[in-house]
Amino acid sequence: MTPEELRETIARQFGRSLHIRTLDTGSCAVCEQEIRLLAAPHYDLHRLGFFFTPAPRHADLLLVTGPMIRAFEVAARKTYDAMPGPKIVVAVGACALGGVYPDDPFTYGTVDAVLPVDVWIPGCPPSPLALLHGLGVAVGRLTEKVRDLPFTAEDDDERIRGAR
Amino acid sequence: MTLWFVRGLRRGVVTTRYPARPEESARFLPGPPAFRPGALTRETAGRLAGACPSGALRLAESEGQADGGALLFDVGRCTACGRCAAEAPQAVTSSGAFELAATSRSVLIKEIPLRGRNDDTGRTA
Repeated sequence: MTPEELRETIARQFGRSLHIRTLDTGSCAVCEQEIRLLAAPHYDLHRLGFFFTPAPRHADLLLVTGPMIRAFEVAARKTYDAMPGPKIVVAVGACALGGVYPDDPFTYGTVDAVLPVDVWIPGCPPSPLALLHGLGVAVGRLTEKVRDLPFTAEDDDERIRGAR
Repeated sequence: MTLWFVRGLRRGVVTTRYPARPEESARFLPGPPAFRPGALTRETAGRLAGACPSGALRLAESEGQADGGALLFDVGRCTACGRCAAEAPQAVTSSGAFELAATSRSVLIKEIPLRGRNDDTGRTA
């Protein structure tokens, strides 16, 4: 099976129903609050076929928050190993992406130091909308947009004129 | 419970249509900054890099003095704290972007050109 075929198979299998296990590797719990809001009526994650599961053995996607504290490495590896393949790892939040504790001696600083991350979701915390977009990107339903965003503003941007 | 039911019927569905339709409330979200290259001198960029608490902003090593250089903005590290906007409000605004998920870490690192790289090169050199 070529990598393209494998990718198509995964997209077909994950595109309909997907079970999520969350993993807190030392986050401040604000990312967890936003993840919890995904199941609230306004975002209603279940309408899209995503479900939370308490068991890694039932999970297709691992939603990892926090800067990966060193004491958690064994548990993180065990959780990842317990998941059946194919599996996706999503790093959530600035901590997991290396922003907040890059040099802390008690953390690895980034999640991808321990687990193979497939999708990165920035934000501190990422809003439920950003998480929905990230989950859509992870299963191949939505396209990633940040690649084309320049993060520069034009000189005649009215928001800048207002700030002057 | 009855009150909630009646109110829910009157207001209709509360669930967002987000992935299918754009979400109106997204513009109220705190988001990463956007930079205005015309107002971003090397001195300003240095101040921004110093003000950033999470190391999302740093100055790129400039190869030549004539080159205006660049400000490297790591969107993944940004916590949207707003300290850069407070430091230099004329050069920083809100990007309003929230769909930031990436399948590769490197696409989150953006190179913001500084003033003097293109237009002022002849004058400063």
